[in-house]
Amino acid sequence: MITRTTDGFGQLGERSQALRSKSSMPLRDGSRIAVIGAGPAGSMFSYFLLNMAESVALDLQVDLYEPRHFCHRGPAGCNHCGGVVSESLVQRLATEGIALPDDVVQRGLESYTLHMDVGDVEIATPLHESRIAAIYRGNGPRNSEPMDTHSFDGYLQQLASEKGARIVRQLVSDVRKHDDAMQVECADGSVDDYDLVVLASGVNSRLAKSLEDLAEEHVSPALTKTFICEFRLGKEVIRETLGPSMHVFLLDIPRLEFAALIPKGDYATLCLLGDDIDEELMDRFFGSPEVARCFPGGVIPRHICHCYPRINIRTARPPFGDRLVMVGDSGTTRLFKDGIGAAYRTAKAAARTVAFHGVSADDFREHYWPLCKKIDADNRVGKFVFWVGSLVQRARFARRGVLSMVAREQQQSAAPRRMSGVLWDLFSGSAPYTDVFLRTLHPAYVGSLVRNLVAANLPDKNRDLPRDPGEERA
Amino acid sequence: MSNDGEPTGVGPDQPFWTHAQQLEKTPPCQAQCPNSGDIRGWLGIIAQREKTGLSLEQAYDQAWEKLVNLNPFPATLGRICPHPCESRCSREAKDGAVSINAMERFLGDWGISRELSLPGLGDPTRVESVGVIGSGPASLSFAYQMARRGYPVTVYERRDLPGGMLRHAIPDYRLPRDVLDAEISRVFDMNVALVTGVEIGRDMSLEELRERHTLLFLGLGAQVGRRLGVEGEKGPGVVLGIDYLTQRKQGVRRNLGARVVVVGGGNTAMDAARSARRDGAEVIVLYRRGREEMPASEPEVTDAEAEGIRFEFLSAPLRILRNGTTLAGLEVQRMRLGLRDADGRQRPEPVRGDTCILEADTVLVAVSQEPGWHGVDGDGPGGKWLHTTSDGKLAEDLWAGGDDRGPGIASRAIAQGRLAAEAAHAQLRGEPMPEPWTSRPAVDSAAVKPDYYRDLCRSPAVRRPRDEWLTNPESEIDQTLTSEQACGEATRCMSCGLCFDCRQCFMYCNAAGFTRIQQAGPGRYYALALEACEGCGKCIELCPCGYMESREGSGW
Repeated sequence: MITRTTDGFGQLGERSQALRSKSSMPLRDGSRIAVIGAGPAGSMFSYFLLNMAESVALDLQVDLYEPRHFCHRGPAGCNHCGGVVSESLVQRLATEGIALPDDVVQRGLESYTLHMDVGDVEIATPLHESRIAAIYRGNGPRNSEPMDTHSFDGYLQQLASEKGARIVRQLVSDVRKHDDAMQVECADGSVDDYDLVVLASGVNSRLAKSLEDLAEEHVSPALTKTFICEFRLGKEVIRETLGPSMHVFLLDIPRLEFAALIPKGDYATLCLLGDDIDEELMDRFFGSPEVARCFPGGVIPRHICHCYPRINIRTARPPFGDRLVMVGDSGTTRLFKDGIGAAYRTAKAAARTVAFHGVSADDFREHYWPLCKKIDADNRVGKFVFWVGSLVQRARFARRGVLSMVAREQQQSAAPRRMSGVLWDLFSGSAPYTDVFLRTLHPAYVGSLVRNLVAANLPDKNRDLPRDPGEERA
Repeated sequence: MSNDGEPTGVGPDQPFWTHAQQLEKTPPCQAQCPNSGDIRGWLGIIAQREKTGLSLEQAYDQAWEKLVNLNPFPATLGRICPHPCESRCSREAKDGAVSINAMERFLGDWGISRELSLPGLGDPTRVESVGVIGSGPASLSFAYQMARRGYPVTVYERRDLPGGMLRHAIPDYRLPRDVLDAEISRVFDMNVALVTGVEIGRDMSLEELRERHTLLFLGLGAQVGRRLGVEGEKGPGVVLGIDYLTQRKQGVRRNLGARVVVVGGGNTAMDAARSARRDGAEVIVLYRRGREEMPASEPEVTDAEAEGIRFEFLSAPLRILRNGTTLAGLEVQRMRLGLRDADGRQRPEPVRGDTCILEADTVLVAVSQEPGWHGVDGDGPGGKWLHTTSDGKLAEDLWAGGDDRGPGIASRAIAQGRLAAEAAHAQLRGEPMPEPWTSRPAVDSAAVKPDYYRDLCRSPAVRRPRDEWLTNPESEIDQTLTSEQACGEATRCMSCGLCFDCRQCFMYCNAAGFTRIQQAGPGRYYALALEACEGCGKCIELCPCGYMESREGSGW
């Protein structure tokens, strides 16, 4: 129900009736919209738009183009990502009427385990937020047996379809301006006219790249290469070795910003983020004892499925034009984390602009661009936070300090868990980077970190702290 | 560990990647076609004409040319071929096989209406002269393939007109004469001479012809109907089906009487039964096995039933009953299916004591045909089947094809003529044998993904209204597709095993490893930079037609 939404756009809808006439390009009854790509951004945009249009009695036709089938196993049916969503996002989607069923969201990740050369430490769920959840974007890894879970993207697509979007199983090969309309051409040669094209094809499709000249002075998102693979370990082995915990590695490997191993039923997803992940980096990663320790017998099995998805590290500029808007990764996303959350926010903002204002570049500049800029600004802070993180990764004394601080916080249930909270939000992406950064400026945080840096690096104070495997080796 | 048997360890020693490659494969239609027809190829020219900048007319012309490269009689085969090509079409389970046979007919008619000439191969005129005995589909296919390679060809035919069984046995309602005439005359427009009224072993000896020509092809056919070998068979009223059909084609009308029993379950039996029905008789077909086992093509049987022909399955003639010399009927032995023989077919066995009487004025016997020529050595059950190598060679200067090597459909005869010509040409020129058309690996049916294709229903067959079939008995029942239908059918081809520009690999490769080829055409749309491949295998999984696959040794 629209009236339940947190920002009450139902009311805005009534006001917007007046606002809509201001736009040079308002949508009318029967207006046709092409949404290209039925990932989370495209499906949620379609869903929100049809919801909002209904609230202002606007009759729109939404065609959702997606040639791929998310019910297929392996990379073909997958929109490759680590597949972690914060519970807060799951809850927020529920308030929008998107209640993710249990066979789509696998709840049950109860902690993060931080792996460093100086030791391992488990960070339990903070009290204010219950857990994190894992999903499969497609229908599981290549060659996997049928699982009791279903595709996250497939579920959202179905939701959009039930709301009235027409799913068109065609690959869009070109989008162009044609008089007052937008023309969408498919690979089989068919052409259709639309009043608005919503680009939600992500950054792992060539389409966005081939449309660079469509919006004036358009700059495509900047990309970097990541690595994701799947291991088949079996439920038993996962329970014994990984437990209900997402394993995060802070290792001193150049260009590696973030590495995590996420248990999902019989499988574990490994995710490496950084600056152009390549074979050299991966060799170093797989050669680390901290990684081998997470696998049974210290041997890393051969993975059954892998890919090198590109991620967006700089917003497209501007992510709109007349009768054209880019949502999700095609436009902007959060640095490294919470891409689905960003898809949700951009999809909703774009849908609101379209339903209540219009589809001109001016409409998007006024009502959509501010959100993109906000995400962008937060990403700049995020970049700094990750830079600090990489400094910690590089300095053994700093790693010891962090380990010590987290370990102490986890032992004392009553005291505020400042470092744990910072790391939790950084790993899960459940808070803006600006919030995370501001918390690290808190005097109590700084004080505690300094104390731990000193304590952890004094030889005789290590007794009650986690074992440092490096010392034994030395 | 749960993953026992799985290779373990990651690193340079272990195959870590799943490198992709592009590889053309043999589609199921081509694998099923006795003549290895490049069906995907000629349908692709039409379906992808806009990508290659062809007008519809140009596309039809080019498709026809590709089609007649292997089969000079598309309008004919488009009418009479039982089209095994459609039986394994990947589209079948989605929304029906592509109407390949109807498309072949459409293009054949297009070629006739445009008066297109059979394409030569640009070879110089050669001195070696070629003789062809017989003028059925095998002979004319051989003659065409040799003529287009520059050889002067002479065809010897014992009757007054060329065409063999196509002309002398297939009824007009299935194959109009003008269609056959148009296609046959194109062969004789090439450097092919026709000598009629000459029978080998009677008017001329084989040795004489071997002297006269560098190379000789025997397309003698198997035109003698086999008899039943039951009591009472000799005498009036028992007629061989093939003789009845041949006379009927020559305009000789035989009085069959009101009740006709046809013995046999093949296409000749169907032709005989339906012709007898057209001559006004009540017709019963007797077949010793069940309907499922009938060698006649299914639509022929269905149409025969629609025309009011009755079928008695699991029934064999025991003896012919006569009133004096006049035929009275036949005693029928009921059968059941017993053990499987060497071919895997269940052998029919008599059910003891279960017989009945069928009254009849004429019995048409269409159980099988045998060679009936003179002056050529051979062996086999009829005494004279020719035994050649697989490409049709009997001796250095003697080749053969068609029913004289054993009974088969016209498409097979055309294939044998063509293969013999290719082999004979290679021998004469001292060149290596050409690669067979189906030498590429078969498409893995699991690699073809019908759900990536737009739903497009098979064009309904165009036919004359059923109530006109018998009232206008010699007019053709099936009609040709419209151009609009033909375009639609061509679009339905899923292009199994060959790129048709669906663009998914190009669009979704994370590494942007595919680049568009400027001079694009069927099978040539994208180049894959192998060094860019990141081995995720996504292009292989997404490729709807099974063209992309993993490279050997790349660990998938």
